[in-house]
Amino acid sequence: MDDHAVLLEGVTRTYGRGATEVAALRQVSVGFRRGSFTAVMGPSGSGKSTLLQCASGLDRPDAGAVRVAGRDITRFGEKELATLRRDQVGVIFQAFNLVPSLTAWQNVILPSRLAGRRPDPSRVRELLRRVGLAGREGHRPAQLSGGQQQRVAIARALFGRPEVLFADEPTGALDRGTGHEVLALLREAVDAFGQTVVMVTHDPEAATRADRVLFLTDGRIVDVLERPSAEQIGMRLGGRR
Amino acid sequence: MTLVLAWSNVRANRTSLAATFVAVLLAVTLVGGSGLVVAGAGTRDELNGVMGLLVLSAVVSGFVSVFVVAGMLSLHVLRQRRTWALLRSVGMTPRQVRRLITAEALVVGVLASAAGCALAVPYAALMSALMRMTGLAPGGIPVGITAVPFVLASVVGVAVTLPAARVAARKAVRVGPLEVLRESAAQRRLLPWPRAVIGVVALAGGGVLLWLIPGLQPKNAAPTALGATMALCVGASALGPVALRMLGLLLGAVAARLDPGAGMLAGSSVVTQPRRAMSAASPVMLTVALACTFLFAVATSDAAAGVTRTGEAAWAAPVLVGSAVVYTVISVLNATAMTMDERADEIRLLRTVGIGPSQLVRMVCWETLIVTTAGTLLGTGIAAASLTALGTALTGEPWFAYSLPQYAGLVAVCAVSGLAGGLVSTRGARRGALLAGSPG
Repeated sequence: MDDHAVLLEGVTRTYGRGATEVAALRQVSVGFRRGSFTAVMGPSGSGKSTLLQCASGLDRPDAGAVRVAGRDITRFGEKELATLRRDQVGVIFQAFNLVPSLTAWQNVILPSRLAGRRPDPSRVRELLRRVGLAGREGHRPAQLSGGQQQRVAIARALFGRPEVLFADEPTGALDRGTGHEVLALLREAVDAFGQTVVMVTHDPEAATRADRVLFLTDGRIVDVLERPSAEQIGMRLGGRR
Repeated sequence: MTLVLAWSNVRANRTSLAATFVAVLLAVTLVGGSGLVVAGAGTRDELNGVMGLLVLSAVVSGFVSVFVVAGMLSLHVLRQRRTWALLRSVGMTPRQVRRLITAEALVVGVLASAAGCALAVPYAALMSALMRMTGLAPGGIPVGITAVPFVLASVVGVAVTLPAARVAARKAVRVGPLEVLRESAAQRRLLPWPRAVIGVVALAGGGVLLWLIPGLQPKNAAPTALGATMALCVGASALGPVALRMLGLLLGAVAARLDPGAGMLAGSSVVTQPRRAMSAASPVMLTVALACTFLFAVATSDAAAGVTRTGEAAWAAPVLVGSAVVYTVISVLNATAMTMDERADEIRLLRTVGIGPSQLVRMVCWETLIVTTAGTLLGTGIAAASLTALGTALTGEPWFAYSLPQYAGLVAVCAVSGLAGGLVSTRGARRGALLAGSPG
């Protein structure tokens, strides 16, 4: 087997029908290697979020295959998708990532609880300490700042040691300083645990944290840069930013 | 402009508004119909004997109508706080928000009252037929069209809806625009002081009535027991969130033990949002408390007087209280649907972290069962207190007659309609597309 955590093969996704039809992804083929950190960039409407949603099993492509750890998830039923989400794929959104009625601790262990496992308390404590939330285990989302909530979400995604972690604009709702901390955590997950991370962002500075940056336009990957500088990314994006 | 906004608001909150509309419509039907029956019975001398029972059941209908409509509106308002905060944040003045809310309530109140008045006539005819069948009024009750019942019913429809909306509007205006982002802030204060005062006063009033009942004439004891139940219901409903948080902790722990994932989610949701949970538990409490008090008060009076009713006559009391029960059961369904419907985002979030379809169904069921059980416990306690006082007045001993099958049936119907409301309203979120579907 190859060492791709996730592999997209000719993925096409179209919204709407007839005259209002919009092709969000056109025949996209791309692989994400284990232990790599990839940023996905592009103007709004370029299909970058759709790419992430199809790759993570949140959305179903109209054509093509998405392989997570070698298995084509586009053929999965609701039940198999649920198992995939709790064990193999972690997702972080821009906001509203946590269940409001659960504490930070309960949010982190939720997927393993749903899987019927008894999580090791010392691991939960250690992970929450690592993301800088020691002493806040019993706080509910409303009692935490945006940055703290995002760190709980990262802890939850990492706790199950997923095959891949997807992040859709994870710093979009945060101020600069807090955003940097969240990005540092994602980077650390890649370097320290060999976690695979795929992040959608429109912030060139956030993208410099990645090993590789994909550029999407009109549903196609139009460019790939390896370990680019902020200047290179800015140039690639052209006058738009 | 306000009207356009009100209309789009109506469209955006269809479930919540439909529930409120149905509540007002049925309340007006119930009150108008009962009024017509009482007015009709008043024209016949031979019906003097059952007049007391008829009036009592009409009072019960009126009480549940006001109670349920007010509860439904406050739930509707609670749900819309975010919309209003959003409108404030885009520059709507408090005055405009108040007008918007009043306009919406006026539309719902007037339309639902008109429809309810029209339905009141066939409803009264049905009740009259049922009373002839059970032998309560062998000659039947002539149902004529008189103005007073309609006026009364419309008063319930419009005059309860409007002031409730005004109060809600005042509260809504006080909500800062930033509250959009901090949803839980709205619920941080478990018991605002006006609510606490109402609760304590109503409970105290109910307590005084309970204390008075044993010393009353048998003829007056039954209506007073019903009054005590109503007062206690108001008190328990106002102070309910506190009780529900405790019951939620207890029952939630049981659910989490039986079903670690889904049970934990259900329990913690009740504990962190006890006011929302109380809105759904309230109608259950009301159904159990009022129906048990009415049914078993009649049974206790009969037993004390040595009367045994058989055949169709045994159905007289259930028929009289039946429509009020049907109404509260519908409002159980309504309230559960509303409280669950607002959880669509949360359900989608749970799906993204890997909750399975069957676990999601179990979570909804657990939460509904916790809420229904809490309501049943409160209602049973209230009914038992009133009935014990009544039994003491009639027989000198703290005793009352009851029917286990009727009680079990009542509780089962509440639980089933709660489950139906919860499962139907979450269907879209449980099964539909995971994402809102915006390309980007």
